[in-house]
Amino acid sequence: MTKQRQLRFTVIRSLVAILIALLVATLLIFISASGATFHDKLEATREALKQMLAGPVFRFSKKNGTAFEAKRLADILAAMIPTIFTGLSVCVMFSANQFNLGAEGGIMLGAFVTAMVAIYLPLPAGLHPVVAVLIGGAAVALVMLLPALLKTKLNVSEMVCSLMLNYIIMYVIKYLMNTHLADKSRGQIMSYPFRGSSAISPIINNAVFSGAKLSWGFVIAIAAVILCGLFMYRSRWGYAIRMIGINQDFAKYSGMKVGAVIVLSQVLGGFLAGAGGGIEMLGRYTSFSWSALPGYGWTGITIAILAGNNPYMVPLAAFFMAYLSKGCDLMATYAKVPAQLIDIVQGVIFLFFAAEQFLSGYRQKLVVRSAQEEIERARAEGGRQNA
Amino acid sequence: MLNFLKILATPEFFFSIIRISAPILYATLAAIVVEKAGFANIGLEGLMMFSALAGSLVSYYAGSWFWGFLAALLTGVLMSLMMGFFAFQLKTDIILVGIAVNMMGSGGTLFLCKVITNLTRGKAMASTTGLITKSLCIPDITIPLLNKIPFLGKVLSGHNLLTYLAFLFVFLTSVMLYRTALGLNIRAVGENPNAASSVGVSVMRIKYIAMAFSGLMSGFGGAFMSMAYAQGWSLDMVSGRGFIALAAQAMGGGECLGGMLSALVFGFAQALGIKFSAVGLDSNLASPIPYAVTIIGLVVFAVVRNRRVKKQHSVAALEKAAGR
Repeated sequence: MTKQRQLRFTVIRSLVAILIALLVATLLIFISASGATFHDKLEATREALKQMLAGPVFRFSKKNGTAFEAKRLADILAAMIPTIFTGLSVCVMFSANQFNLGAEGGIMLGAFVTAMVAIYLPLPAGLHPVVAVLIGGAAVALVMLLPALLKTKLNVSEMVCSLMLNYIIMYVIKYLMNTHLADKSRGQIMSYPFRGSSAISPIINNAVFSGAKLSWGFVIAIAAVILCGLFMYRSRWGYAIRMIGINQDFAKYSGMKVGAVIVLSQVLGGFLAGAGGGIEMLGRYTSFSWSALPGYGWTGITIAILAGNNPYMVPLAAFFMAYLSKGCDLMATYAKVPAQLIDIVQGVIFLFFAAEQFLSGYRQKLVVRSAQEEIERARAEGGRQNA
Repeated sequence: MLNFLKILATPEFFFSIIRISAPILYATLAAIVVEKAGFANIGLEGLMMFSALAGSLVSYYAGSWFWGFLAALLTGVLMSLMMGFFAFQLKTDIILVGIAVNMMGSGGTLFLCKVITNLTRGKAMASTTGLITKSLCIPDITIPLLNKIPFLGKVLSGHNLLTYLAFLFVFLTSVMLYRTALGLNIRAVGENPNAASSVGVSVMRIKYIAMAFSGLMSGFGGAFMSMAYAQGWSLDMVSGRGFIALAAQAMGGGECLGGMLSALVFGFAQALGIKFSAVGLDSNLASPIPYAVTIIGLVVFAVVRNRRVKKQHSVAALEKAAGR
């Protein structure tokens, strides 16, 4: 199949998957919409859908009409920061066919360790956030050694192991926060405030975008995307990771150090998740107060699937998910449809994106057409040579 | 320390181990059968969440636990068949199907709960614990005669109907796998689908049956969670039991009896955690115990398995050498 056709197929397939998910969403919204008559319900559904699909960048009001809302767009970009990192993390691990689901616990641990460095380690301003985030990432990389080594040495399922680690990480952090590290002077359970030197400063300040907050973390996230992409597609190690994901036996046969690469992919994935947690922490908060797993890891898995494990596509997928999530929040506020609709929509999109045979008939048609064209071309060229 | 051991030696403690093991046991049996059919269903967690919600809501609206129980089973089976459709027909990676179902099982069930309670009661509720009364739960059963035996009676009698069924299913599943044509087909498909197909076994049909079985077991597990273990459904109430079951399957060597023992080990770990927090240990330190035990269990199992494989290899090599 030609490259152009391949691209067209991918785009159409993605759009159809999203369309199906939105249809499911519409159906669910319709069921949950309030209204006595069918017409009322339809109207309520329309309103809810409008909020969900256009709400993230437009504000609707009776007085001022529809207006572009820069603050909400900035919110979406800010929400992308942690999920870009978990998305990259999952990309790297899934590329090697390692179903490590530890990004969820990883981002929490990274955020926690970074927060501790930001509170207790006095360092100069420029250096502090860098060191804090690196230590946060390194801590998670170290933890991910456990599932990775158990997988390569003992063939223990990295999936079960990483899932269990998520729970352990959450409870241990909760324990530490409840007992030793809590700032007792505050009303709720949170740590002492970070040192001023550790903050990642905002790119967008409040005056311009009426309360919008977007830290330099966003730029770092985009830089991480490029680095990750270069690593996966332009480096020896990235090639090995992808090769092992495609065919582990062949990779082994051709002399790759399969064990080492599997460990590398999970450690790198852990580092990315941890660093993402750290950057999110220092860019958005002034003290640590997470009391449960944040859910970014699961979103990261969806993003990696949407991006087809291609790091360069991660920002797009992360934007899509953040947009959808914001839309669902707005819908919950203005249209009384529970915001958890996002989980169902996410699940449906996820299923159809990952479905290899989805629209396979259409793909088959494209392949056949390409082949026929090639034969035609070959025949024409052959004819010319004969003449 | 001695005092603590005294608490552990009570019949109540052993009773709680059995009670806590039951849902893990159902999920473990589900994991065992699909594993025998040659794939992994990691969506057990999500399936149990959906079943738990369905059981709890239907029992409330129907006013009887029996219909709720049936609804839970039906939900588990239907959802697992849907998973099968994506995995076998649309060729989605089965692991990813499982992740998607788990994702929906967390927030999606809360969405459904809110929507359904909002439609019928005019108020969106985040859990069904307020709706469910004791009579809407699956009943406990006192076994006559057995309950008269000191200690043992207190441990074994008075459990929930589903707890007894869980242990009965260990036996039934084992019989199904090793004494019936269906079981033979399942194992054949798992070991070599091409060979099974060549003798006329429909691989697809067997895989769907295994999937449906795992859904049925998840239905039992889910019903247990919301209609016996707790009164009513609440968010993330299955809390990793579906995942722990995957570990129990591996630790039990993929066999029913082994799986049951592993499920009991996890039940023990969890019961121990609960006791620890009862004597004053921070519950956040006690809660991760079952998860840590899972990892340790997997490691121990893997070490033992690897040793056995190595031993077999060396025995085979020695025999070969002696033969020459």
